Amino acid sequence: MSPMKLCVPGERLCSVEDCTPGAGTYLRHGSVFASLAGYVLRRNEGEELPVISVVKETEAQLLPDVGAIVTCKVTSINPRFAKVHILYVGSTPLKDRFRGTIRKEDVRATEKDKVETYKSFRPGDIVLAKVISLGDVQSNYLLTTAENELGVVVAHSEAGVQMVPISWCEMQCPRTHNKEFRKVARVQPEYLQA
Amino acid sequence: MATIQVSEAEKVYIMHGVRDDSRVDGRGCEDYRHMEIETDVVSNTDGSAKVSLGQTDILVGIKAEIGRPRPMVPDEGYLEFFVDCSANATPEFEGRGGEELGVELSNNLYKVFNNRHSLDLRSLCIRPGENCWVLYVDVLLLQCDGNLFDAMSIAIKAALFNTRIPNVHISEDEEGGKEIELSDDPYDCMRLNVENVPCIVTLCKIGHRHVVDATLQEKSCSVASLLISVTHKGTVTCVRKLGGGSLDPDSIFEMTETGKRVGKMLHVPLMELLQKEENLGRERTKVGFLA
Amino acid sequence: MPVDTKRIRGPELSQSPLLFVSPVSEVSSSSSSSRQGVRGNGDVRPVFARCGLVSQAKGSAYLEAGNTKIICSVYGPRETERKDETDMKSGRLVCDFRLAPFSCPKRGAWIQGAEERDLSAALAESLQPGACLHRYPRAQVDVNVVVLENDGSVLAHAVTCASMALADAGIEMYDMVLGCALRQDGERCLVDPDLAEEQSGAGENQGRVAVALLPNLNQISGLQADGEMREDTLTAAVRTCVEGCHKLYPVVQQAILRAVKKKAPPPPEK
Repeated sequence: MSPMKLCVPGERLCSVEDCTPGAGTYLRHGSVFASLAGYVLRRNEGEELPVISVVKETEAQLLPDVGAIVTCKVTSINPRFAKVHILYVGSTPLKDRFRGTIRKEDVRATEKDKVETYKSFRPGDIVLAKVISLGDVQSNYLLTTAENELGVVVAHSEAGVQMVPISWCEMQCPRTHNKEFRKVARVQPEYLQA
Repeated sequence: MATIQVSEAEKVYIMHGVRDDSRVDGRGCEDYRHMEIETDVVSNTDGSAKVSLGQTDILVGIKAEIGRPRPMVPDEGYLEFFVDCSANATPEFEGRGGEELGVELSNNLYKVFNNRHSLDLRSLCIRPGENCWVLYVDVLLLQCDGNLFDAMSIAIKAALFNTRIPNVHISEDEEGGKEIELSDDPYDCMRLNVENVPCIVTLCKIGHRHVVDATLQEKSCSVASLLISVTHKGTVTCVRKLGGGSLDPDSIFEMTETGKRVGKMLHVPLMELLQKEENLGRERTKVGFLA
Repeated sequence: MPVDTKRIRGPELSQSPLLFVSPVSEVSSSSSSSRQGVRGNGDVRPVFARCGLVSQAKGSAYLEAGNTKIICSVYGPRETERKDETDMKSGRLVCDFRLAPFSCPKRGAWIQGAEERDLSAALAESLQPGACLHRYPRAQVDVNVVVLENDGSVLAHAVTCASMALADAGIEMYDMVLGCALRQDGERCLVDPDLAEEQSGAGENQGRVAVALLPNLNQISGLQADGEMREDTLTAAVRTCVEGCHKLYPVVQQAILRAVKKKAPPPPEK
C-alpha cells in the first residue's frame, strides 16, 4: 500500500468534479482545498463521486451546533430553567467547558405549562438534550429535552444510589425504593456506546 | 470602532456604485468629502486646529512643555500623542468604551510620525541632554463618520503649523547654575517647519475597487483597508493593513499608488489654505464650533 | 517600605549601560553581498520549525530563525469570555503577543507594554483572514506567542509560528499564514533582518516592511511598513517579502506534516 497522502491547510486537493468536499476541506473557485493538516481520505459511499476529507489524529474539535445531541450535567436548577454543563457533542468529548440552559418550556413537548423544573431535573443528573439555539449575547446555549429519547439518563437518589427508571416521569432508588420525579429519556441503543 | 448597521441590500447598492465610480454622496472613488479647517481655535493651547471632513469632526490641541530629552536621543525633543474618544461622538465611547480605539489610533500616530524627517525634532531641543520641548498632541474626536485617520492627520498638521513655541533664553549665574527664561513677548516665538509632516490616506477596498475617505456606511462594506501616510514629496512613511480581511498583492500595489497620488495632492491646497488663513491675521472672523 | 538608612542606596535614576555603547558600525562595513559572512541580502535566515512541543496545549509550535526564537501555543475553541454582538456568527481569535523580559538587549517589563499590545493586534489581523472562524460560532481561540529571543523580524516570524500552531491544533484554516520582514537601507534591501540590521542605517529611503501572506490564495493578510520610502521602493519591497514567504513554505509544511505523522499512524483505508 502506498503511503497515505498528507496535506496542510490551503493545499489544493482536487477539482470539485472529481470529489465531493467532506470534513476538513472547503470549496473555492471550483476546487477542493484542505482546511486541516492531516491525512487525505477518499471514500466511496455509493454515490457517483467519492467524498474527500482530511482527518487528523483525533476527531476534530466539535462545537455544539443547532440540532446536535449533547450530553450534559445539570449544575443548578431554579423554577424557570436548569443550568447545565455540556460534556459531549454526539460521542465526542469536549475539552473545554460549555454552559447551556434548559428552560422550563423546553423540558417536554406536552403540557408545557405544567412543567416544574425540580420534578424534571436535579443537580448532578446526566441529561441527553438537543441544541435548539446558540443563544444571544446574554444567554448560553439553549437546549431542549422535549423528545421521548431526550431527558435524564443517569440520576442518583438521596441515598446516593443510581436510580432505575420506572416510567417516563419517575425513577426509583433500588435501595430505599423511594420514587423521585424526573424527565426520563428512553435511551436509544445508538447513544448507549457514548 | 464606531460602527453602524448596514443591510445587505444597502451594501450591494454601495458596492455597485463604487464599481461604477459613483458613490452614495455623488463623489468619485478618489474624492474627499467637503473639508473645513480652522486653526487657532482654543486660546489656551500653543497650537490648535479643528477639521471637519463631512460629518467627522476633530479638534487637535498642542501644548508645549519643557521636559528631559530621551536618553537615546539627547539632542531631540519629542511628541506625545493622545487620542480621546469622547462620548459626545457616540455613546459607545462612554466610560472606557473608547479607550481601545483611542490607544489604537494614537499608536498608529506614533508610527506615522516616528521618523526623523517628518518634523525637525532637533529644533525642539533646548539644552542637549538636559531640557527639550515636549509637544503634547491631544486629539479629540467630536463626531465620527468614518475616515478618522485622514482627518486626524490633517488636523495635526494644521495644529503643528499653528503652533508657536516661546523662545527660550538660558542665563547662567555665578555658581554655574543655569536658568531657563521664557520670553513674555507673544511674538517672540519659534515656528515649526511642517513641510514634511505626512498626511494619512486611508483606502477602503470595496468590491474590486478602493475608495478614498470612506464614510461609516462604506466602511461597513469593506473588510480590509490600507492606511498610507504620505509626505508632500510623495514618500511613504507608514503603511498598515487595517481590518480583518486580506488583500491580493496587485490591489495593494494599486492602492499604494493611489494613496501616494491622492496624498500628494492633499498637501498643496492644505498648505496654501493654512498660509492664507494666517495672512488674514486678526481680521479673520472666527467660525468656531458652530460652522 | 521603610527606608534602610544604614544602607548606601544607589542613585535614584538608573540607566541601561547600552545607551553608552557606541552604535554598531560593523553592519555598514559588511555592505558587501554577505551578511554575517554567510547569506546574501535577499536570503532569509535558515529556519528551524517544530510543532507540538507544548503537551498541554491544543496545538503549539516553536520557530527559530537565526537567533530569533519564538514559541506559540493555541488553546480552544472554548466558550468566549467577552460577549459582543459580533461573536454570534463567528468565533474570535484572541492573540497575546509577549516579548520575554530577557528577550531584548534591554530588559523589558513583565506587564504587556504598548508595543506588545500593538504587535498582538497586528498578529490577530494577520491571522484572522487565514482562519475559518465561522466554523466556531460563539467560541474563541486563544493564540499565545512568547518571543524567547528577539533578533529581529519578530512579528513576521511570530505570524508564521502562530499559523503553524493553529494548524497543529486542528483549527480549520483557509490557508497557512507566512510572514516575512525586510529592511530597506537606501538602495540595499535586506530580507529577514536581524536586530542590528533592523536598527542601523540613516539617510534616504529607509524603512522596515513586514508582510503576512496566504501563499495558496495569494492574498496579503498583513502589511506594515514604517520609515520613509518611495512608492516604487515600497512596491518592490512588498514583492520581495512575498517571495521570502514562499521560501518559508516548504519548511513550515514539513514541520506540520511531521507532527501529524508523529501524533497518529495513517487511518485505515475503508
